[in-house]
Amino acid sequence: MDDNQAVNALVRRCVSGDAAAWQDIVQQYHRRIFNICYRFSGSSDDASDLTQEVFIKMYRTLSTFDTTRASFMTWVTTVTRNLLVDHFRKGKYDRITDSLDATPGNQEDGLTIAEQLEDRRASPESRVRSQETQKLVHEALRRLSPELREAVILRDLQDLDYKDIAKVLNVPEGTVKSRINRGRTELARLLQRTYKQVS
Amino acid sequence: MAGETQSGMQCAEVEALLAEALDGVLHGPTLAAFEAHQQGCATCRSMVEEARAGMSLLQALEEAEPPRNLMHNILAQTIGALPSEHAVVKPRGEGWMEKLKGRLAPVFAGVATPRFAMSFGMAFFSITMLLGIAGFRFGDMRDWDLTSKGIRKAYYNTEARVMRYYENMRLVYEIESRVRDLRRAATPDNTQSNQPQQEVPATNPNQKNAPKSEIRPQHNGSHPGYSRDMGGPELASYPAVTLATNPQARQPSAPPSSFYLGGHLERRTA
Repeated sequence: MDDNQAVNALVRRCVSGDAAAWQDIVQQYHRRIFNICYRFSGSSDDASDLTQEVFIKMYRTLSTFDTTRASFMTWVTTVTRNLLVDHFRKGKYDRITDSLDATPGNQEDGLTIAEQLEDRRASPESRVRSQETQKLVHEALRRLSPELREAVILRDLQDLDYKDIAKVLNVPEGTVKSRINRGRTELARLLQRTYKQVS
Repeated sequence: MAGETQSGMQCAEVEALLAEALDGVLHGPTLAAFEAHQQGCATCRSMVEEARAGMSLLQALEEAEPPRNLMHNILAQTIGALPSEHAVVKPRGEGWMEKLKGRLAPVFAGVATPRFAMSFGMAFFSITMLLGIAGFRFGDMRDWDLTSKGIRKAYYNTEARVMRYYENMRLVYEIESRVRDLRRAATPDNTQSNQPQQEVPATNPNQKNAPKSEIRPQHNGSHPGYSRDMGGPELASYPAVTLATNPQARQPSAPPSSFYLGGHLERRTA
């Protein structure tokens, strides 16, 4: 029995009222959904709330999952993405307020984004290894437009293939690739521009 | 974009193949043309480098750790259960009540909301209030016998009550009809004694040609509508015409209503 069949069997058990099966689903997918929400919203608290909403929605609509149309992973990602888009349209999470003088995590004694970008000695790959640089990239990700952000999150962070991303976003595969390219390029330019402003 | 270069590949094609190139899935002449185009096109070269850098930065991001209580909160909000380290899978042959609850829970998940509960509560309150105004008391339901025997008994009791009511009403109407016939039988003597009074106005030549509608019937103590020989209004003259055309109806010996009344009394005494 491969992974898809195992997950489908788990879903069937859950639909038939097996609470333990639902607990297994939550156990398997809550981390992944939390990360999508976290990278999209930029806030751990918001991501926690959104993840709970995603699972409540999944619990109510689990019987509508059609195993012949898509994999459960694609369905879960689609539910998550749709909920994120709904919240984004409401403007609740559309907040790009951090400036270069702000410190990640609002720590008074921490380094500002500008200060973190001043380190020119390390290459981009080596900078990513540090925790501060990760926060920097995370902040830059928030500044991308929602269309580009969701495309690069699904591809580079969730490792979905182009076909599944096209299903989730409901756009052609060529559009997915274009958005991923633009998202990656925009992110690199955004970090580069920020660096030039402070140097 | 610099357009087509010596490699024969357009800038648009480079952009379209960029994702596959960064994934490392380009091979053979396509990959060679892609790389050759970058050598001659600074714009595309810059774009590819930026995209590669962006991809490296994103893929280097570590997975965020969810809050510890997240799974607990999710399960509490969905099935109301707490996560356990050793989750016990419920056996399939569990009690039917638990099975039914498990099946109904997802179906009624949308109904079991505070808004629906509020609406249901308001509807219940309204119905209870209306029943109270109408005099219905839920305490009386304890006296109801809802067995098949009790329902049958209630049905026959109700039927007998309706029949008694019908028979009583029929008796009342028959007595009234009998009284009316007796009055009608006594009417000819009164009309004969009133005859000269009605003929006096007819001898007056001034009123001879007066219209019928102006002749007012003389009230003689009995109901004007039942006097057979009274002239003037059509209401009084209608029974006289009917009797004239039907000679048998003049037989005063046994009016039909008395027959029924007698029959009814016979049945009642029996």
